[in-house]
Amino acid sequence: MEAKKEKLRVPSIWPPTLLAAFIRESYCLEECPAVCSRGFGELIFRNLRNPTIHSSVATRGKGSILNYTIPREKKQMCGILRWLVYLAALWLVVTLPTQLDAVQRFDPPLSQRVVAYEIAARLDAQKRTIDATEILTYRNLTGRPLDTFPFHLYLNAFQPKSTFIQETRAYSPGFRWKEEYRGSIQVKSFEVVGIGDLTDQIEFISPDDGNPDDRTVFQVRLPKPVPPGSSVQFKIAFHAQLPLTLARTGYRRNFFMLAQWFPKVGVWWRGAWNCHQFHRSSEFFANFGTYDVRLTVPQHFVLGASGEEVASVNNPDGTKTVTYHAEDVHDFAWTADLNYRVIEDSWTGSAGEVKIRLLMQPGHLDQVPRYRDTLKGTLEYFDRWYGPYPYNRITVVDPAHGARAGGMEYPTLITAGTTWWMPRGLLMPELVTEHEFGHQYWYGIVANNEFEDAWLDEGINSYAEVKAMDALFDPERSVINLWGLTAGERWSQRFGFRGYADTDPLVRNSYEFINGGAYGAVSYNKAACVLLTLEGLIGEETLRQALHTYFMRYRFTHPTEEDFLRTVEEVAGQDLRWYFNQAVYGTQRFDYAIYSVRSDRLDWFQKDRPAAKKGETAYRSVVIVQRKGDFIFPCEIEIKFDNGEVVREHWDGRDRWVKFAYEKKAKVISAEIDPAHKVFLDVSLFNDSYTTERHRGATGKLATLWLFLTQFLAQLLAWLA
Amino acid sequence: MAAKESGIVIGGWRLLWRRQSLLWWVYAVNLILAVFATLPVVLRLSRVLNSSLAADRLYHGFDLPTFIELASHPDVALAAHVPGAALFAIVFFVFMLFLTGGILASYRQEQKPSRGEFFRACGAFFWRFVRLLIFMAIIVGLILLVGNRIRHWSDTLAAESPYEKLGFWVELSGGLLLLFILMCVRLWFDMAQVRAVAEDERKMRRTFLTAFKLTFSNFGTLFWLYLRISLVAWIGLLVGFWVWLRFVRPEWVWVSFLLQQAVILLWLGTRLWQRASETLWYRRRYPVPVPAIPPAAPPASPA
Repeated sequence: MEAKKEKLRVPSIWPPTLLAAFIRESYCLEECPAVCSRGFGELIFRNLRNPTIHSSVATRGKGSILNYTIPREKKQMCGILRWLVYLAALWLVVTLPTQLDAVQRFDPPLSQRVVAYEIAARLDAQKRTIDATEILTYRNLTGRPLDTFPFHLYLNAFQPKSTFIQETRAYSPGFRWKEEYRGSIQVKSFEVVGIGDLTDQIEFISPDDGNPDDRTVFQVRLPKPVPPGSSVQFKIAFHAQLPLTLARTGYRRNFFMLAQWFPKVGVWWRGAWNCHQFHRSSEFFANFGTYDVRLTVPQHFVLGASGEEVASVNNPDGTKTVTYHAEDVHDFAWTADLNYRVIEDSWTGSAGEVKIRLLMQPGHLDQVPRYRDTLKGTLEYFDRWYGPYPYNRITVVDPAHGARAGGMEYPTLITAGTTWWMPRGLLMPELVTEHEFGHQYWYGIVANNEFEDAWLDEGINSYAEVKAMDALFDPERSVINLWGLTAGERWSQRFGFRGYADTDPLVRNSYEFINGGAYGAVSYNKAACVLLTLEGLIGEETLRQALHTYFMRYRFTHPTEEDFLRTVEEVAGQDLRWYFNQAVYGTQRFDYAIYSVRSDRLDWFQKDRPAAKKGETAYRSVVIVQRKGDFIFPCEIEIKFDNGEVVREHWDGRDRWVKFAYEKKAKVISAEIDPAHKVFLDVSLFNDSYTTERHRGATGKLATLWLFLTQFLAQLLAWLA
Repeated sequence: MAAKESGIVIGGWRLLWRRQSLLWWVYAVNLILAVFATLPVVLRLSRVLNSSLAADRLYHGFDLPTFIELASHPDVALAAHVPGAALFAIVFFVFMLFLTGGILASYRQEQKPSRGEFFRACGAFFWRFVRLLIFMAIIVGLILLVGNRIRHWSDTLAAESPYEKLGFWVELSGGLLLLFILMCVRLWFDMAQVRAVAEDERKMRRTFLTAFKLTFSNFGTLFWLYLRISLVAWIGLLVGFWVWLRFVRPEWVWVSFLLQQAVILLWLGTRLWQRASETLWYRRRYPVPVPAIPPAAPPASPA
């Protein structure tokens, strides 16, 4: 019952709250707290300062309140108000069952709910530490007895000898270690209910690289196995030291971003435990379940977290305890900052109302519409294209400047990012908001293993990002539209992977790419281009239908790349293995080129041939198309003649080259591969077409620009003369 | 005082106008050298762009991903041409250092010097100005070192401050302060060069110190003179940029070219305008001594 009380949520638009707020504003009830010290009325009025009903009556009966002397002229007014309060309280009692329903509960559950976490954590904002207790209930749904359990301890990644820091240094030689980066998490006690304290049994393991100094994964062997179908409960106490933000985790001044912050059990997947170390180029993988998290922080901090706030209590020691509940999610992250300004809005989709909560930095308030409109637009398109957004809220965090915590996704909470000077023509806030929200679908709901199949969430999400940004903005200017410079989303994706076109296949463990750049280029950009090219192959609507089917079929599960590829083939009704084997599993280089274009007069051998006349002189024209790379793909080629005739040719692309010859009373003026621009995997844009007539416009333009810059540089240097 | 100052700036402008051939020569050399630096780029660009339909993405607009792909194309490799442009800039710098003596001598005299006189002055002052340049390089180097430390400090301040804009304002203030100091140093060495030419001074260390006293004892007048003309250059650049963005369509290559050249001409012109104004100021303060007329010899008495 006590727990239910804590989950009671009173939206600020409730009539009693509104009424009480009105009374307070009108009659200065802040000065008249005595009326509050009576039963239920107290509950209401105390909570006027916070639109959430407090879960306990611990705040009752402060000496200062009891000793308060009510001015005579206000006593009568207070009597009236007391009655109004009682009426409001009565209204509350009558409608209580309805209000309890305001907390989102999924019945039946949307996922298997393998885990249930109950965490109580206290943040020491001065020392930047967390002390917490965690009760984890694990349901053994593996179908076999389990006696070993691995856990992530990811805050230990922020230590100089950890695999994460070693990889960071290897990928970025300029990285310098600072002592403020040091973070840690220490398990103070580890108890298994019914078995006892097993703290001594904790054993650190490094399943990925064998690094003995990496302490991001530990395992515990139980003296007796947990039978299939039954549950086991772990009680863990831990102490964490937060780092200066690294990998979007830690603190910066009074800003805190808490991600991967608690001991989290691995995932039993494909018949084994899957519990990777923390890597520089990787994200995460965890079980679906429920989270009940009580966070105690200094009172002035504004909080944001995964899930839904169900209670908030101000403690006598100057702290407050805020309780969150989340279900059918696979992670829990939270943030606290003194400076957040809270902007609330809502959007209604096919699954009902979604409350939008923006936690903005004060200097960025003018950019609220940029975040909000992009978020609503993305919600709208995703709802229409892929399926309903099941949760009733989404929180967008605008991190403090310099925090390096922007651009990350957690269930029902994302971090975006901007700067106070961000021009309208640089659509970074929009892009990041769209991308991170997209992860609610591709990662949050369809929860693939980000360590092993990163492209499944990053790639599909980048493709969905292209589609959403194209729909929300001008497709040719959806990234940059500034000072005459433009960049569209799909062209940017294509540009992004060219440097790593043939280094790594999509299906590779994210921490095993040739370098960090390749991980990003392949998992995000190349994967998006693989899907854009696939769209050209099977049609936009078919691919959209395939993604919808994939989403609906695999939501709240952990699918593999084969699940996705089979779904696409099934929906498309085609065998696409030839494409997937090259684009997904292979590293073939995609490069088709116009090798040559030539038109010769048929009477070239005659000595006294007449002067060429357009439309009368006959030519033999030859167009040769070459496959320069090893990626085999069918090609469309468009050949234009000077009499206006256009010929479309199709080539299966298998041979190294193909020749198209024509005898016409017209010369070829241009030949172009992929005239509809459906192929985004081709690594060279410039050899895809050839014009027989020289066009010097672009060269002239760039040459004058280069000339000007050279002159200007010289003139600046000459200032020293 | 103000009328006197503005008289100098306007007088400097008139002097620039009267000796405008100097400006045209400087501009012509700047353009020709830049053309040489640009030719290899044009050749490489034309190989890739002239027969590709993808060039349209750069002609009818400026698509950044396409440009970056072009810049990294093995047949173009734009980055490889940056040293060529830098070399050209160094040649132009040396050319201007050589020419400065002649330019200042030309502004110093009432009459336009002959070509021979002009180049004699160029040659006569070249090595002296090289010596002055070494002094200036040491001072500018020290200032940049301090500036770098200030920037580092302001970066830290910006990162640690809860106020996001603080860093920007600190950086901006620091940048403006640095610019102000650099302008002061430039002004000082401008005056050293003016004085060296006016007095035909050979000892550069003495010129360097005398110019310091001269500049900073008349700092307000000289700096205001220098600053106003600098502002003309900066405003001209911003207006040119605005016109280019606002009114020039991406396909109007020739219009872009003319606008760019107008900006270059403006910047070269304002620099020479500063030189002319400084010389004029010095000329008014220290007029060229009129040669004393020897007393007329008594007529020879008839023998």
